[in-house]
Amino acid sequence: MGDAILRAEALRAFYALDIYGKTKIIQAVNDVDLEIRENEVYGIAGESGCGKSTLLKALAAAIEPPLRLMGGKVVYRVNGAEIDVATLSQEEKRRLRMTYIAYVPQGSMSVLNPVMRIRDTYRDFIESHLDVRQKGEAFALAREHLVELGLPPKILDAYPHQLSGGMRQRVTIALATLLKPRIIIGDEPTTALDVVVQRGVVQLLRDVQSRLKNTIVLVTHDMGVHANIADRIGIMYAGKIVEEASAERIFGAPTHPYTRYLIDSLPRFGDKTPRESVPGSPPSLANPPSGCPFHPRCPHAMEICKREMPGFTRVAPDHRVACWLVGEGSYGKAA
Amino acid sequence: MFLKQYLIPRLIQYVLVILLGITAVFFIPRLLPNDPVLRTIAEMRARGAYLEPGAMDKIISDLQQMYGLEGSWFDQYLAFWGRLFRGDLGVSFFQFPTPVLDLIMTALPWTVGLLLTTTLLSWAIGNLIGGFAGYYADRSWSRTLDAIAMVVRPLPYYIFAFALLLLFAYLLRWFPVSGGARLGMRPSWTWPFIQSVLWHSVLPALSIFILSAAAWFQTMKLVVQNVNAESFVAYAKLSGVQESRIVSRYVIRNALLPQITGLGLSLGLIFSGALITEIVYSYPGLGTLLYNAIVNGDYNLIMGITIFSIIAITTSVLIVDLMYPFFDPRIRYM
Repeated sequence: MGDAILRAEALRAFYALDIYGKTKIIQAVNDVDLEIRENEVYGIAGESGCGKSTLLKALAAAIEPPLRLMGGKVVYRVNGAEIDVATLSQEEKRRLRMTYIAYVPQGSMSVLNPVMRIRDTYRDFIESHLDVRQKGEAFALAREHLVELGLPPKILDAYPHQLSGGMRQRVTIALATLLKPRIIIGDEPTTALDVVVQRGVVQLLRDVQSRLKNTIVLVTHDMGVHANIADRIGIMYAGKIVEEASAERIFGAPTHPYTRYLIDSLPRFGDKTPRESVPGSPPSLANPPSGCPFHPRCPHAMEICKREMPGFTRVAPDHRVACWLVGEGSYGKAA
Repeated sequence: MFLKQYLIPRLIQYVLVILLGITAVFFIPRLLPNDPVLRTIAEMRARGAYLEPGAMDKIISDLQQMYGLEGSWFDQYLAFWGRLFRGDLGVSFFQFPTPVLDLIMTALPWTVGLLLTTTLLSWAIGNLIGGFAGYYADRSWSRTLDAIAMVVRPLPYYIFAFALLLLFAYLLRWFPVSGGARLGMRPSWTWPFIQSVLWHSVLPALSIFILSAAAWFQTMKLVVQNVNAESFVAYAKLSGVQESRIVSRYVIRNALLPQITGLGLSLGLIFSGALITEIVYSYPGLGTLLYNAIVNGDYNLIMGITIFSIIAITTSVLIVDLMYPFFDPRIRYM
């Protein structure tokens, strides 16, 4: 565990959608404070539609209309110097991609250009960042990297549709990590893969991380994947982080009622009692509930929950919770 | 594998489609309730010609021979193929006694020259601009082009062609009003003739080019916007791939796939001519020829042009099919 390499301060990113002349604001990321450290795997968990992927876009400095940065900032620490992402030009941001911060997309059929051989995709990605004079050099680099990660180099000659879903995802991860980025951002990289392949992909991410000693920020709704790989986990609900702790504490001592529901809904060996899921459905981010956004679904909701969002309370070193049940939150208000 | 499992069956299919098409061309006129022979005689009578019964029979049998109407349908059908393989499409009646093949061969260069150029140019330019406009869909120049295309494309062609003619040939007098070259000039490979042909083709070409480029622009823009939403584009962007590479190799390259099929089909349609263009600009070509053939009941000529058109369309579809794997590696012919 090292110093913060990626920070978000009071980050607010909203979608402004123009629907029949009316502007609809979706508060996808609402006041998020995050500090992600060097050489750790940080997991972001939450239900679908809670703003996880949007947060990831903001962290990757990929805010594009209709998504807008409404407040706060994202700070990278590049070679010891802190850089506010908003001050970077498009070209400067482009140069940081893959070399400093890399993105691993959700595994899907069309993550790689279907009309090009894998080799040509690799060449495009490499040549966009390195000054590779000779054509062979990019190819040699790619080949070397694949061997390092235990993938057969002959897949470079294949087209994406000739590979299995798991192989495609591994190729994608290998490509994303080719230029030894300090931060890898994964947006549901294991979703849409079967569990056996999922395990391989998680293992590959872990290998890459231990080899590069870098940081992984991993978004997935799959708590099993988080348990497998994450050092620290942030639980997101309705555009806010509501609890953050080490993986052991999130699974061993979940404190926020929402986190407890998430953990309790996981199956356990030998336990045949029906699992209880979170009642109700996630709130609309266009019109989030007042106060703590979880109060309509919370069995412990009090009067104050409907009026005010609590700040963070430190229940243990490195474990913060935003819930009125725990305290009114003196440390880093979340709302 | 490719040869046995795909190419040979595909070629057999190609030949079969042509055979069936030409067979239809043979039978359809024969199923029509008017007899070209009786019609010709009626026309002769209408002009006041008096015919002796013996001469009448002679004329009927001569006409039947020229139309290939002797004997049973089966005999006629065999004879029809026999003549076709010798390259004999019969003689035209409306320009008697010029062979149909000669008429088609005179009109063909005009049509192909005009339509091949405009089809290829409008495809290339419409797709190129549409590709960039789709990628940069939120820029103001892209919206402007979109608005222009939206107005231009649904314009009825004959109105648009007439408007161009009125404006540039009649009012401004920049271009000639009609014809394929200056009257009285003999077709030859000399500079004055080529110059005159180019000069006369500007307005017809422009009228076709603008409307079809607008159509290619619109479809390409839509396809590009769909490709833009694909995850491989998002992944390339988030990996900092240079924008020029993303536009050309990721977006436009993929969006062109359906457009290539479209190009193949419109290339096949060239051989049917562009009737309205040719009428509006009095341009010599297959369209006018076909029109005259229909108006004058010139069966041999109609059949000749239709046969050309059938062969052209099936051939261009065949070529597109065979070329497609080069553009899209996912298409494999085992």
